[in-house]
Amino acid sequence: MRTASIESGEVLVDCRAVWKIFGDNTPAAMKAITERGLSKKQILQEYNCVVGVANASLQVRRGEIFCIMGLSGSGKSTLIRLLNRLIAPSLGKVVVKGKDLAALNATGLRAMRAKNIGMVFQSVALLPHRTVLENAAFGLEVQGISKAERSKTAEAALAKVGLADWIARYPDELSGGMQQRVGLARAIAADPEIILMDEPFSALDPLIRRQLQDEFRQLTKELGKSAVFITHDLEEAIRIGDRIAIMKDGVIIQVGTAEEIVLQPADPYVAEFVAGISRLHLIKAHSVMGSVAEYQRTQPNSDVNALLKTTPEADIDELISLTMQTERDGIAVVEDGTVIGVVTPRSLLRGVKGSPPPELAAA
Amino acid sequence: MDSSGLTASFDTFIDSALEWLGDNGEFIFDAVRSSLEGMYDGVVWLLELAPFYVVALAIALLGWRLIGFWFGAMAGLALILCAAMGLWPETMSTLALVATATALALLVGVPAGVVAGFVPALDRVVEPVLDLIQTLPPYIYLLPAIALLGYGPATALVATFIVAMPPAFRLTSLGIRMTPHEFVELGQASGTAGWQMFFKIRLPFAMPSIMAGINQSLMMAFGMVVIAGIVGSGGLGETIYGAIRTLDIAKSIDAAIAIVILTMILDRFTQGVASIGYGGKR
Repeated sequence: MRTASIESGEVLVDCRAVWKIFGDNTPAAMKAITERGLSKKQILQEYNCVVGVANASLQVRRGEIFCIMGLSGSGKSTLIRLLNRLIAPSLGKVVVKGKDLAALNATGLRAMRAKNIGMVFQSVALLPHRTVLENAAFGLEVQGISKAERSKTAEAALAKVGLADWIARYPDELSGGMQQRVGLARAIAADPEIILMDEPFSALDPLIRRQLQDEFRQLTKELGKSAVFITHDLEEAIRIGDRIAIMKDGVIIQVGTAEEIVLQPADPYVAEFVAGISRLHLIKAHSVMGSVAEYQRTQPNSDVNALLKTTPEADIDELISLTMQTERDGIAVVEDGTVIGVVTPRSLLRGVKGSPPPELAAA
Repeated sequence: MDSSGLTASFDTFIDSALEWLGDNGEFIFDAVRSSLEGMYDGVVWLLELAPFYVVALAIALLGWRLIGFWFGAMAGLALILCAAMGLWPETMSTLALVATATALALLVGVPAGVVAGFVPALDRVVEPVLDLIQTLPPYIYLLPAIALLGYGPATALVATFIVAMPPAFRLTSLGIRMTPHEFVELGQASGTAGWQMFFKIRLPFAMPSIMAGINQSLMMAFGMVVIAGIVGSGGLGETIYGAIRTLDIAKSIDAAIAIVILTMILDRFTQGVASIGYGGKR
């Protein structure tokens, strides 16, 4: 499975217990937090400092799309800027490709940003006096690459996002979705391993947004890039992310795959978010199936091996289709040739509704 | 000591300070005067190199390229009108005066404005000084200048420079400070060096504001150059001043028309250049 290869992959971005405090007296406020364990509210009252990100740790592996979901003011935009040191952390370490960003000098940091970390902004930030091609080539231009070479590379990047015919146009001649494609092309033209996406699709209308989400995911996977993707939309996070971190008030509350977060929300806040999410494509057979023993107890006359078969990765949508094709009241979930569980209509309904099967709940 | 005594002693102090400056700094002010007049004479010489119809034609062509056919044609005709009114040498020396003073004002105002855009502390110090310069009646600058540099174009240049410099400084500084935050972030995230950030991101965004500053400086310079007719600036200003003294209303109107023509041409030219510099892509 795709997650398996990511899990064993090299860690590209390692964010270790990072804090960011805004205000005039941050060192003292930071000290008060580490020594006296003051809360955010106390810090605001006593030091007039705002805690932007609190003790955030995350790891992004090669080839992984890591989503950070949070509402406005949750610190997600601050967190993503800590990853390329647009904002320097008050405490903690950010290690990218094995290098501590804080230990790099100005030249080293510039090189790291230019070559290894691309960034796409919510506001797109296309330079209005430059053509689409010149915009896409901006990162390469900054690196001092010759005009012929950077134009070629930028053209290829624009072709990847489907804008090959628009290279001589100016940004204001493009629609919002196309502009954001140019932003993406600019980020991938420099061929970085990591792309930081700061709410890139938030300002787009829903149809274009979905299209770009799918394109982005496909492109990132094709190119083998890692991405950190900021969003305030959980559905977007689920659609795009391999793993999702949920942020609230500067704290990462939960990190996990979409399925983990939907099935086992860490707290009522996450649960509330998850409540409105469609489970059809999210919940897999292995999460809703009951054990073979249980099935045989309730249906003693039925032969498990005669049931329709499916894989543990089949989602609820697929399972419903299968259930409708069969006369029998169960689907066998098969892994490596053995039946590991049975999905009954009852367990399916439970999966759609959201309460976990009895065995999982007990576990 | 009553208040009139206080004022009197202040006035005496200023007078003697100016006198002291004039006596002890004579070699400096002589050097300033001769270099300013040298510049001015050079520009006049250049402008009078060709006969009036050649200059008019050149400006008409430039106007056509920069703004449009009709503007170019009208500009050429208007300049020929200046010559027909017998004011061609005066028009050219006014142009020379404005060009020299504005060039000096930009040479100081734009770079200083760039620095102030980056150093808010400098901006805070300079702003009140500029406020003062811009609120005082422009005549004021003629007197100390005439005391130190004497009667002639050098004094007019210095006074015009003082009046023309503030807008260039202010609007440049504003333009540099107004770089949209997301583009600064873009520059940082792309790994730009300091000079790249300045030339590739800040300057293009500041350009419209800087061009507006240049245009404003030019307009201020025009206003001052006419006033500077009193101190023997030469050119149309002096013509008007002379006409006022002799109550020659017709002549003063002729000269005023010539000034309006010159002002409008230069105003549109700088605006035309501005639109090419920034949005002239199509």
